[in-house]
Amino acid sequence: MQSNAQLEYDYSIVKAFTFTTILFGIIGMLVGVILAFQLAFPELSNLAGEYGTFGRLRPLHTNGVAFGFTLSGIFATWYYVGQRVLKMSLNESKFLMTVAKLHFALYFITILLAVVTLILGITTSKEYAELEWPLDLLVVVWWVLWGVAMFGMIGMRRERTIYVSIWYFMSSFLAVAMLYLFNNMEVPTALVSGYGSVMHSVSMYAGTNDALVQWWYGHNAVAFVFTTPIIGMIYYFLPKESGQNVFSYKLSVLAFWGLMFVYLWAGGHHLIYSTVPDWMQTMGSVMSVVLILPSWGSAINMLLTMKGEWQQLQTSPLIKFMILASTFYMLSTIEGPIQAIKSVNAIAHFTDWIPGHVHDGVLGWVGFMTMAALFHMAPRIFKREIYSKSLMETQFWIQTVAIVLYFTSMWIAGITQGMMWRAYDEYGSLLYSFIDTVTVLQPYYTIRAVGGLLYLVGFFMFAYNIYKTATSGRVLDKEPVNASPMAS
Amino acid sequence: MDQETLLTIQGYGKFFVILFVFIVFYSYAYSIYKRQRTGERDFEKYSNLVHDDSFDSTPLEKRDNSIDKND
Amino acid sequence: MFHWLEQKPFFFAVVLFLTIAFAGIIEVIPDFAKQSQPTVGTKPYTTLELAGRHVYIKDSCNACHSQLIRPFKSETDRYGMYSLSGEYAYDRPFLWGSKRTGPDLMRVGNYRTTDWHENHMMNPASVVPGTVMPAYPHMFTNIADIETAYAEAYTVKAVFGVPYDAEGMPKLGTLEEAQADAMAQAKLIAADMKNQSVKDAVANGQVPEIVALIAYLNSLK
Ligand code: HEC
Repeated sequence: MQSNAQLEYDYSIVKAFTFTTILFGIIGMLVGVILAFQLAFPELSNLAGEYGTFGRLRPLHTNGVAFGFTLSGIFATWYYVGQRVLKMSLNESKFLMTVAKLHFALYFITILLAVVTLILGITTSKEYAELEWPLDLLVVVWWVLWGVAMFGMIGMRRERTIYVSIWYFMSSFLAVAMLYLFNNMEVPTALVSGYGSVMHSVSMYAGTNDALVQWWYGHNAVAFVFTTPIIGMIYYFLPKESGQNVFSYKLSVLAFWGLMFVYLWAGGHHLIYSTVPDWMQTMGSVMSVVLILPSWGSAINMLLTMKGEWQQLQTSPLIKFMILASTFYMLSTIEGPIQAIKSVNAIAHFTDWIPGHVHDGVLGWVGFMTMAALFHMAPRIFKREIYSKSLMETQFWIQTVAIVLYFTSMWIAGITQGMMWRAYDEYGSLLYSFIDTVTVLQPYYTIRAVGGLLYLVGFFMFAYNIYKTATSGRVLDKEPVNASPMAS
Repeated sequence: MDQETLLTIQGYGKFFVILFVFIVFYSYAYSIYKRQRTGERDFEKYSNLVHDDSFDSTPLEKRDNSIDKND
Repeated sequence: MFHWLEQKPFFFAVVLFLTIAFAGIIEVIPDFAKQSQPTVGTKPYTTLELAGRHVYIKDSCNACHSQLIRPFKSETDRYGMYSLSGEYAYDRPFLWGSKRTGPDLMRVGNYRTTDWHENHMMNPASVVPGTVMPAYPHMFTNIADIETAYAEAYTVKAVFGVPYDAEGMPKLGTLEEAQADAMAQAKLIAADMKNQSVKDAVANGQVPEIVALIAYLNSLK
């Protein structure tokens, strides 16, 4: 099949990012499981001295899965989908190839440095923006490189019309660039004063302003890392794997603009009942509810894409992953707005229901879709059959059970604790001391930890399956068109 | 300018900008469906961008400057 | 018009960016000036307290503790007066947190004392059985970074005009002066503690992290 004279898509960058997706996935999720067990069994908190405590590990977990696992997955799929639907190959341009390689190298170095600095406790404390200023600068560099590669590839395309997946990737690039810059505005103290640690910086904003910018960022980082690029992925991989047309391309375009416009307004819901102005909190609530429309627009569009072909759900584990991903997308995009309603928020905020909600989204939607994308790409980039279908099936069921254990236990834990905090006895004094509301959660924390562990086990099965595919899957003589070939 | 006027300007600004975006959004939706109906442009065919994406397949709509100019 | 846009990736990107940026411009910017006014009586942190705040951030206590009391009776009964925007005027970064695995700490200085913190930080479970808070024995030996705290205070004073050295506000001065003041404050705290190695370190002119942290926690009122 490989003729030397003929140009082909170049998958070397895709392979590199596939590797980091798996590597950082393992690190990030492993740390997450450790954290979950620490809350269930606090004796585990002090096994590694100061480096193993909850506070040190938590940023490592969030950054590991968001900027390690998910971003790697996004970059891998970008360099794959981007080349294909634009019908251009990185081989055609030395410049873009170099940019892409540099993008990968700097990204990889940054995440490794992030692991080290976070464990050492070098952090700004702002959630999902914990990295200190030298690392922030590195991030900016490779983000710009990604943009150069993206617009360079678009500029070289043969296909006139740009497929909607690309729109979603573009929106991620633009939005995260803006959000990241503004939220990480900080002044390195050693440069100004000449004293103290070089790594240290102080935020440009103070107090309530800082909180506002932080949650404008925090919420939309979720939007443009965990939502839009993943929608971009599913708009490519689901039709491709199933051989179906997107149910309505028009709907996909409209949902895109709807999402772009509304999403940014919803950040205020993280600050309900805080000291930010009232109208902004209300705006946050209302817009969060409006957000259901474009979110469900995409999700329903995906589910209806399978119209008339539902038997594929039985025959293909890959389709299973993607359909469950859209289902969890629907679940979390209805759950989020519910939590943003003021009276619900009064109970839910600060409790375990919030991490529960996040994990519906990341385990069910982001995790499943990213793994499905990697599974779909594997036979094409390695030119080999997927190593084991039955392993995929097992993985699917283990991880599905894992997610259900995770979110049910966190829902119960969150609502229980939220209600206990506000319970009064008949004399008008608080019914429970704080520690009562902690010890009551122990069983739920245990169930959650088991759920997390199962998901991690599933992830190891995934990693093994991809590894075996790359090294010893049956060699394919021709690129599969739709359904990915898998050995039973 | 004091805080009050600032907030008032902000309030009006917001209302009109949202109204503007609202109108643009719906006229876009309308234009999409109209163009599909009149046959000016078939949006649904873009699904094929996914199916027909190997390197040597012919592009659905070739990039061609003479067409671009006519748009 | 729309047709044209769909085919022009770069203009498309510009429109997309404006759509995305729009909420931020309207929502975030106009309230900035007002929110940053300190309430009467709010003071910037002393160098030692700031060093303690850095310890708090280094160990991400904010992963489990909020510093934001919402205006509900159940919260004001438990933690004290609800939070006002101006009280945070000198908090860079803000430390509201997003998860209350442990209780709110916004006004913990009103009801916990140095010796309570000493025991609790060394081994929380011995003070509050059933707690999930980790123990922090390393804070009793790690030395706090007073110089970086000074660098931060100096920076916010120079860049953002935080009123150090003003009438009735904490003194900053030169690095040597700030270090001397921090030592003096540390001595007062160490006097209330019983851990011998901490007392010795302070006597030798060093500030263990725990002393700075307690100074910070005591300042939360
Ligand atoms: C794993 C989550 C967790 C982390 C991390 C954590 N704590 Fe706690 N903390 C708790 C819990 C749970 C309680 C309530 C039970 C208790 O008093 O130990 C608590 C209680 C406290 C209290 C007592 C508050 C009161 O009103 O009684 C203080 C003070 C405190 N923590 C300070 C800290 C500091 C300082 C750090 C960072 C070095 C920290 N905590 C890190 C979970 C945590």
